[in-house]
Order: sequence, then structure tokens, then C-alpha cells
Amino acid sequence: MDWDWELTLEVVIPRLLEATWVTVYVTVISFLLSLVGGLIFMILKTSKNRLISIIATEFIEIIRSTPLLIQIFFIFFGLPRFGITLPPVTSGIIAFSLYNSTLCAEVYRAGLLAIPKGQWEACTALNLSFVRSFFRIIFPQSLVPIVPALGNFLVGIFKETPILSFVAVAEIMHVAKLIGYEYYEFTEAITTVGIFFIILSLISAKLINVIENYVRRTVIHE
Amino acid sequence: MLEGQLFMSDKKIIFENVKKTYGDLIVLDDFNFLVDPNESVAIIGPSGSGKTTILRLLMTLEKMQEGLVYIDDEPINMMKVNDKLVPVSNSYIRRIRSKIGMVFQNFNLFPHMTALQNCIESPVHTKGLSKTQAIDESKKILDSVGLSDKYDNYPSQLSGGQQQRVAIARALAMRPEILLFDEPTSSLDPEMIGEVLNVIRDLIKSKKYTVLLATHQMGFAKEVSDRVCFFNDGNIIEEGKPEKIFNNPKNERLKKFLSKILEAS
Repeated sequence: MDWDWELTLEVVIPRLLEATWVTVYVTVISFLLSLVGGLIFMILKTSKNRLISIIATEFIEIIRSTPLLIQIFFIFFGLPRFGITLPPVTSGIIAFSLYNSTLCAEVYRAGLLAIPKGQWEACTALNLSFVRSFFRIIFPQSLVPIVPALGNFLVGIFKETPILSFVAVAEIMHVAKLIGYEYYEFTEAITTVGIFFIILSLISAKLINVIENYVRRTVIHE
Repeated sequence: MLEGQLFMSDKKIIFENVKKTYGDLIVLDDFNFLVDPNESVAIIGPSGSGKTTILRLLMTLEKMQEGLVYIDDEPINMMKVNDKLVPVSNSYIRRIRSKIGMVFQNFNLFPHMTALQNCIESPVHTKGLSKTQAIDESKKILDSVGLSDKYDNYPSQLSGGQQQRVAIARALAMRPEILLFDEPTSSLDPEMIGEVLNVIRDLIKSKKYTVLLATHQMGFAKEVSDRVCFFNDGNIIEEGKPEKIFNNPKNERLKKFLSKILEAS
């Protein structure tokens, strides 16, 4: 087997580097929206209003039990019929954010449940208000279990972005396929994409690790 | 009479016909109990007899199904509006809570805060003290429980006995009138029990607080309390001066309980 270094160095890597920004952009925006969305879903799901809580629970169930690709297709190809036409990148971000919000909601809930009941009781005994108890006492502690789980989402979204090539978003997988069609040579482009993903995953894992250690140090002083 | 009082008595705490159940399990049924101001009452009895429950009801950590509990003749689980008893409002219950400090079996310190930060959290937030004022006051309290060199230590860096003393300091920093101790030495290693009991002894001897102490430390209960109540199946089946309860118990179940405890120790 001969590897085409010229193609790799002069075409594949420069064009993939350009496309990397799209992948990173979609991932980071989707991740940040999921963090907020997860919080909203958690609040709605645990709402004391039964109707709100049922609607939220069912919606989460629907999102979770359908493939992400179908959701993206629905947003991109289906919504125009209802008068909503969205660009591919936006469709992708919405789909990723919705999907991961539902998972984040569960992570938040589990993180909060992991805090011993005694911590809430101490807050009551010290006469702290609910808001103060939550933001000063409970939430900081819940970051310890939550942050590592959220890190997995970040890596997970990165690895899911190639799905967007189906709606022609110029992320790295899509660009790699285009290079393949142009030069009738897929091996270099696809292999390089794989390496790019390994590097991106390693970087995000490292980043999460740093944040995780910071949280551990400041919250539980290990 | 003060706002919220239903009558005037000379009691600090009153339990009146209280019923408390957890599902099918009846913990307290038609329970009545009176505590004088600055009295220290030791509550003894087997596990599951309701000792902890009455402390938790007072601290408003649990709701009772029937009956009323009063502190300074004000009900804590209902409030008076236009001569009717209605469910308590948030501000009402927080005013009542500010009179009570509680020390838990498992300390329940906030792990992400230093000893000093644990102590000032409530005074700054609920008593409107300035931070400097609260720090000043809390340092003095930590000194008084023998932790003058541990202000900036986190709970994970302290021994069990030290953690429980921080928890006591944290309760004292709220300037409570009533102190509730829920088996404060039960999760401590034996060699650390003494240092915590010494602190509690000083607090009781100061006669500044109304103290309820649920404990398995019979010797300590006998030594420091004004009155001992023996709990069994949700009722006080014998109570009186410590000498009377320990030296001359009348009830058969109390006799059995004491002999078992003596055997064990």
C-alpha cells in the first residue's frame, strides 16, 4: 500500500484544518446550549405542576427514543413544510442541543440526588433560605459528580458531528468525503479525519480533567 | 402576649397531643411533653423509640400528622391568623427556627467550607451580621470549643471529634435559645467522645440554653441533665431526676434497658 503524502500534506490536512472550526463550533455551541437546556428540562420535569412535568417527561422520552439522524432530518427537511426553514448548521446545533439537553437533565438530577440528605437538613437547621441553600451549599457539591459526566457529553458530541455530513454541513467528515470524490482517493482523507478526532477527543478529555481537578480541589479538598 | 402566642405558660417547649407516622409506622401517638426554660433534658431509650423524631419535629425537619408543638407558647407547625390556625408561612417558620440550633449525629458540616466559613454562613445570611462581625464572633466560639488553631481547616482535614465540635460551634453561632443534640457522639471513635462531651457539658452548665440531648451515653446523661426521659415505643414511660432514673428505676422495661446498657459497657 502506498500512502499519498503529497495529497495528505497539501490537500487533506489544510482543508480538514479549515473544516475543524466548523466541527469545534458546532460542538461547543451545542454543548453550552445543552448545559442550559438540561437545567430547564430538569426544572420542568420536577415541576410540581403535573401537566408541565408530564409534558416534559414525554418530550424527553420522544427525543431519547428516536435516532439523532432522524431528528436532524426532521428539523432540516421536515420543518420547511411548516414554514420554518433553517440552515444546515443551525438544524444540526438544535438537534444536538435538544438531544444532549435531555441527557444533561438526568445528569443534573442524579448529581443533586447524590448530595446526602443531611446537607439539606443542616441548611434548614441553620435557617438558610432555599435559594441560599441551593446555590451556596448543594449546587457546588453536586459539581463533583456532574462535571465528569458532562465531560463525556463534550467528547460524545464531537464524535457525533459527522452525522451532519448528511445535511451537507462542511464539518471535517463531510470535507473528507468531498476530497475523496474529487481525487478518487478516500484512504488518506478518512484516516486523517480519524486522527483529527482522536486529537480533538484527547484535548477535550484533558480540558475536562483540568476542570474536574479544579472542582475537586475547591469543593472537597482532595 | 406576643404576636403568635396562643396562651402564656412558663414552658419553653410544649408538645401537645402530637401524632407522627411514617407510612404505617406510628412513631408518636398522642404525645405530650413539657420543657422548662434553660432546663436540660436527656432523652434515652432504644433505637427507633422516637427520641430522634421529637428533635426533628422541633427543628421542623419533619411534619407531624396531628397535634401542636409550641416554642415560647407559639405553635411551630401552625400559625394564628385572625384567631384561626393555618399552615405556617415561610417567614413565620424561619423566625421560629432562628431560636433553635441542632447538632447532628453525622455532623453534616459543609465539606466545601472551612470551619470558620461553616460557622459564619448562617449569622451573615440570617442574622444580618457583617462579615467581620460574624468572623469575630465565630472565632471566639471556635476558641471556646478548643479549635483556635483550626479556623481555616476543611472538615476532611479534621478528626471526627473536631468536626463535631465545629458543628456545635456552628449551631452556637446562630445565637440559639434551644440546643438539640441528636446522638452527638454515636458516630465518633471512642477516644474522641470525651472531647465532645466536655464541650456539651460546659454548654449545659452555663445554663444559657434549653437543651434536649438524645444519647446513649448514660453516665453523661446522669451527670449533666436536670431530667431524664426514658422513651419506649413513642412514649415517655418513665421520667425524673437522673439519680432516680438510674439508681431506682421503677418501670420493668427501663430496668431491662439499663441492665443491658451496663452489660455492654
